[in-house]
Amino acid sequence: MLPALLFMLAFIGYPIINNIILGFQNVDVMTFNNEVKEFVGIQNYIELFRDDILRAAIPNTLIFTVGSIIFQFVVGFALALFFNQNFTFSKPVRGLLMVAWMIPVTVTALMFKFMFGANGGIINEFLMNLHIISKPVEWLVYSGTAMWAIIIANIWIGIPFNMILITTGLSTIPGDIYESANIDGASRFEKFFFITLPMLKESIQAVLVLGFIYTFKVFDLVYVMTQGGPVNATEMLSTYSYKLSFTEFNFSKGASVANILFIILFVVSLFYLRLVREEEVM
Amino acid sequence: MENRKIRKIILNAVSVIIAVVLLFPLYWMLVTSLKFEADIFKSHPSLFPERIFVDSYVSQLGSGQYNMFRSFFNSAVISVSVLVISTILSIPAAYGLARFRFYGKKLFILLFLVTQMLPAVFVLTPLFIIFNKTGILYTYLSPIIADCTIGIPFSVLILRTYFLSIPKELDDSAKIDGCNHFTAFLRIMVPIAYPGVIVAAVFSFLFAWGDLVYGMTFINKQEMRPITAGIFNFMGQYGIAWNYLMAFGVVTILPVVLIFIFMQKYIISGLTNGAVKG
Repeated sequence: MLPALLFMLAFIGYPIINNIILGFQNVDVMTFNNEVKEFVGIQNYIELFRDDILRAAIPNTLIFTVGSIIFQFVVGFALALFFNQNFTFSKPVRGLLMVAWMIPVTVTALMFKFMFGANGGIINEFLMNLHIISKPVEWLVYSGTAMWAIIIANIWIGIPFNMILITTGLSTIPGDIYESANIDGASRFEKFFFITLPMLKESIQAVLVLGFIYTFKVFDLVYVMTQGGPVNATEMLSTYSYKLSFTEFNFSKGASVANILFIILFVVSLFYLRLVREEEVM
Repeated sequence: MENRKIRKIILNAVSVIIAVVLLFPLYWMLVTSLKFEADIFKSHPSLFPERIFVDSYVSQLGSGQYNMFRSFFNSAVISVSVLVISTILSIPAAYGLARFRFYGKKLFILLFLVTQMLPAVFVLTPLFIIFNKTGILYTYLSPIIADCTIGIPFSVLILRTYFLSIPKELDDSAKIDGCNHFTAFLRIMVPIAYPGVIVAAVFSFLFAWGDLVYGMTFINKQEMRPITAGIFNFMGQYGIAWNYLMAFGVVTILPVVLIFIFMQKYIISGLTNGAVKG
């Protein structure tokens, strides 16, 4: 018990407190090694809320998260229902799809960066063959399309996650409910809306809240695909925090942005924990 | 009867189409890694490599600044260490949380649950400062420790659910047979909970293997960087050498695919238990 706890206190507990304190200090590459750090109150936050990049990063992160979740959830749900039917390939193929979720995000980002490329990019080729576009689009170069490109890549990662969690939820619905509904002459539509959806309420809540948390803190995907560009169009809270700390070496500013990110996630986590508690798994 | 058969054939066919569409990016990565540069940038890229290009792999195996084999080895050292440390620390912690009643137990479980949701950038700067002060910055040890902070809470929570599912009577009967708490734990509990141990170990490994931000921040030399950070740097340098980049990607996912093939059932169990029950 103790070693794991001490480890976590040292390398998570202490950093958390430290990061919050850093947000009220002025630590950069010049003052990094000073024993006494200058206390500046909420100066960092005042500056940040006047900062255009931060003011772009918050809506960007929200758009990215909500856009990803909606499609991941709908497609994942549809696939869960599809593979819940009884046929030879249902289980092996469902299992196979999990690969997309397991591979390192850096590699996924690389793959999609190539596919969205203007030169030799397969997505342009495909859309041109379908005559949807007439000439190659530089997806990652235009601010209007770059966000969509990273959302699509993230949807690809998230589909299996949503699918598996909904599948688990589906497996807990007792089959005889459907049988009695059949006897009562319920249609497919009615069975879905009056049995499946209400019975899945908890799974749906869990998958949406977890999906929000995991998506909102996105870093690798965006950092590899666009690095927040073009012109901050895909700048996220996490990537901006990283840049402030480790390319501008303004550690306090970076920590402050991370704190803002944390506060948003913390509120959502509280909401999730209340759900978990209601399910009484604690 | 006929109708049913046709329906099943259609379902199987549709499932294959879904798999082909969704897994196409992986296929495309493999194919691209084997293509000549001229074939990659052709106006209508072919779905198969017309002539096989192996230099994308071979040239990165031996020497050079971007030595794929070297990065792979770095990742292996880091990930295996994370696997060992996080599993060894997590087993007793999970057992304690499952078996004993003590003050603040719920709080600990909550804390483990919350740490899983923390963004990496939130602890990145303080960890950087700590590692710098203790002199382990820019050694393997710093990404190992940082990755363990993801592996441990996950493993503790997963293993706890396994220990909870073992009836307490088993502990008692072990004690009657002369085991103390410790030997009962080692001889009875750990072997029974071993599927959980595997889930915890596999996930700790995968978290570490997939990490980019710690490897990129806490290690400054390319020849020591894990493979994900290696790719990222390589990309910065040789932005459009897609065949080389894709070869790097293929090698990176190789262990993941192998783990997936042999441990699929553990992975799905880990994902569902870890995510839903917490």
